[in-house]
Amino acid sequence: MKQENIRNFCIIAHIDHGKSTLADRILEKTGAIDKRELKDQMLDSMDLERERGITIKLNAVQLSYSYQGEDYQLNLIDTPGHVDFSYEVSRSLAACEGALLVVDAAQGVEAQTLANLYLALDNQLTIIPVVNKIDLPSADPEKVIKELENIGFNREDVVLTSAKTGQGIEELLAKIIEVIPSPKGDVHSPLKALIFDSLFDSYRGVITSIRVVEGEVKVGDVVKMMETGATYDVVGLSINNPKEQEIKTLVAGEVGYLYASIKSISDVHVGDTITLVENPAEDRLPGYKPMKPTVYCGMYPIESNKFEDLREALNKLKLNDSALTFEPETSKALGFGFRCGFLGLLHMEIVEERIEREFGIDLIATSPSVVYEVELNDHTKVLVDNPSKMPKRESINKTYEPYVKCSIFTPSEYIGPLMELCQDKRGTFINIDYIDTERVTINYELPLSEIVYDFFDRLKSCTKGYASFDYDVIGYRASDLVKMDILLNGEIVDALSVIVHKDFAYARGRVVCEKLKEIIPRQLFEVPIQAAIGMHIIARETVKALRKDVLAKCYGGDVTRKKKLLEKQKEGKKRMKQIGSVEVPQEAFLSILSTKE
Amino acid sequence: MKSCYIHIPFCQTICSYCDFCKQFYHKEKVKDYLLKLKEEILRDYKGEVLDTIYIGGGTPTCLSLKELEILFDILQVFKKSSSCEFTMEANCETLTKEKLICMRNHGVNRLSIGVESVQPKQIKYLERNHSKEDISRGIFLAREVGFQNINVDLIYALSFESMEDLKRDLDFVVSLDVEHISTYSLMIEDHTKLGIQQVKPISDEMDRDMYYFIVDFLKKHGYQHYEISNFAKEGYFSKHNLCYWHNEEYYGFGLGAASYVSHVRSCNTRSPLHYPNKKIEVENLNQSEREEYEVLLNLRLQEGLSLERFKNKYGKDLFDCFAIKKLIEEGWLLEENGFIRIPEKYWYVSNEILVKILQKKIELC
Repeated sequence: MKQENIRNFCIIAHIDHGKSTLADRILEKTGAIDKRELKDQMLDSMDLERERGITIKLNAVQLSYSYQGEDYQLNLIDTPGHVDFSYEVSRSLAACEGALLVVDAAQGVEAQTLANLYLALDNQLTIIPVVNKIDLPSADPEKVIKELENIGFNREDVVLTSAKTGQGIEELLAKIIEVIPSPKGDVHSPLKALIFDSLFDSYRGVITSIRVVEGEVKVGDVVKMMETGATYDVVGLSINNPKEQEIKTLVAGEVGYLYASIKSISDVHVGDTITLVENPAEDRLPGYKPMKPTVYCGMYPIESNKFEDLREALNKLKLNDSALTFEPETSKALGFGFRCGFLGLLHMEIVEERIEREFGIDLIATSPSVVYEVELNDHTKVLVDNPSKMPKRESINKTYEPYVKCSIFTPSEYIGPLMELCQDKRGTFINIDYIDTERVTINYELPLSEIVYDFFDRLKSCTKGYASFDYDVIGYRASDLVKMDILLNGEIVDALSVIVHKDFAYARGRVVCEKLKEIIPRQLFEVPIQAAIGMHIIARETVKALRKDVLAKCYGGDVTRKKKLLEKQKEGKKRMKQIGSVEVPQEAFLSILSTKE
Repeated sequence: MKSCYIHIPFCQTICSYCDFCKQFYHKEKVKDYLLKLKEEILRDYKGEVLDTIYIGGGTPTCLSLKELEILFDILQVFKKSSSCEFTMEANCETLTKEKLICMRNHGVNRLSIGVESVQPKQIKYLERNHSKEDISRGIFLAREVGFQNINVDLIYALSFESMEDLKRDLDFVVSLDVEHISTYSLMIEDHTKLGIQQVKPISDEMDRDMYYFIVDFLKKHGYQHYEISNFAKEGYFSKHNLCYWHNEEYYGFGLGAASYVSHVRSCNTRSPLHYPNKKIEVENLNQSEREEYEVLLNLRLQEGLSLERFKNKYGKDLFDCFAIKKLIEEGWLLEENGFIRIPEKYWYVSNEILVKILQKKIELC
């Protein structure tokens, strides 16, 4: 394929604006799949993605399309829509020259639309604005076009589509070919291929998604990972169309998969550059800045013998999710597990679910925590991503916590409740931008820990789900933070400790104790539940002793039934963790997270 | 095999709480049933000498004198040891002197009478049909005919029952001066009238308070609390029930009857249509499961589980089957004089302890 006839593009959108459906329609229109084969949202290969309707892992697919007598190769690179995955968005952007910015014709521009747009602009991509779902009864394309004009697009550049009916798709394909520039790399230069994704296949080892920027790579070439120095024989190259198809070479401008019997997961870093051992390139492509996790939690296998399995699962996930970090940790209450770092709450939930689903390991996750900065009396600073690492109160001079700038995009009628929510969450008001008469962006500075706690739920409930929001970490600020412990029967349960603002500790402690009282079943003895800051008890509840649990009758010799009851009771205990002498159900560990004030 | 249970599933009235296998008395059906019962006994009884026989129901005494004669005729096939405990359940409304004499003549030497309560509002609630006087009369007749071993059943912890109600029932029960008393906290089971009405049970606190009140009260009146729900004067422990609690095997004849024969626990069908040809819930126990039953059942007893008997039965030490040393250290179990038992103060939460023990099962590969 002539380089001039190649177009590499991605689709960016706010969650639910129809990105995956639009991709499906493009696949169908270019004949990559016929309608019969089309499962909804073809590109989302993980079950979890299809169920949640969000794209977690990117995916590249090569399409052929004839336009005005010329054959074109279109490489569509799918991107995730959620804010937690902006890192992956930027990865896919680096492999493209253009982007489709999809906006829902009924919902209009949303917070993530803007966030993704700015990312794409930073990557110097050519952007085609697309107003999708114009078939909806509630669609108001004219209004959305005006919004797009307000953020700097020309009315005539906007393409109107309905991914559902197929309307406007041909026009969109024409626009892609006309507007998006072709790639510019030199086929004869030494090979430089950017790894923008990877995944593990049990038969072929690590499979990398690459964009060849300069030069050419062939099956049989000996390649080198420029960052790690590892070398491999290229066993195979392939493209997705969207079924996998083996090919012999990939040249500058093209996108495809490369595999080389790579067994060692650590040899492959997403963002690294692949070159040839003979005639290597001099320098690496810019790659990406590694993302720092903002949220941490402990993950423990419920069955303690699954610890090594969990390590393996995390290693495999890390392969195509380089933002995930983990290191082993031990909890007195939960045994051996890992302290894991995530880009955000959704990222955390998805990793949890993937481990449970794809690897079949049941998990207990502890309450998520952000990374605090603690200045000790000797003025040294330590980072604390785990309440158990919080230094003793006496040795602390000052504590700092991460703040975010948060933009809430909302119909104007919810300004009141939203400001109240942000005020509650220790927010500092910045300003309100009016997009039009009915829609505004509220800007606040908030502690990240407050967002991690129950911000999403409360945002949803106070705006009936109409608001969307986005945030950026803006740095650390001094804050009066304390470590709050939870004691069961007088023993600290390390997995339940949290770091919390001092003013909120009492209320939080009370809520947690009440919640635990509901969740912890009666035991053979009375169990006091206490919240404490240091030696100081700030809240207390009691789980009364179990009064009755007996098989009273023994009638007609039918004892089988009793045994079955006991067996059932025994099964129930498997979902309990023994903490000291107290049996605690797993839900208890989630209760701190889900506590509604 | 030393024990045998026989079920008579007929009643004149159906009690609101009862989830036993029962049906309304009907002459033709009884005739038909006794034929099938005979068929089953002749088919399955292997000729062992029996130490205990227990005729339960239903209401066995609702059978007519003639039907009782037929029943006993069928039971002639059993070989009985000289000390055989032969129990029959009875209720006082259906009990006549003639029936009592018939029972005596055929070797019945223990009566179990369903008293349940003598408070009029409670009797009504349970949908039973007797008065205090019926009970006194029934027991007087039984004594007259020569019964020297009588049990009465008592139900407590009805939703609205007060401690005063319970005391009145207990006062009456001890005044009867019977040898054995079984007490049961009312269980609201699905498929009973109370269950269908979704009656709310009494609070666990009250239930427990009543239980320990009963225990104190009956002990003061000379009864030994030899099993969770059972009390008896010295020498009158129920041999038949001890067979269950010692995890010994027993025949179960009749509709819906449970049996334990050659390591197989099973129940006869509850459907008259399929009886006696169908068994349900057949559970073929391996050694490990038998060991579990051994523990669960024996720990219902005040004396507990005999370590020696366990070893003789299973060829293994109890502590090699269950890792329960720690439970003993923590006080959930007591080890004394070669027995393991649950302390009485934990009897009312004994399931929790039994589950702890089940969790400590050591499986050998």
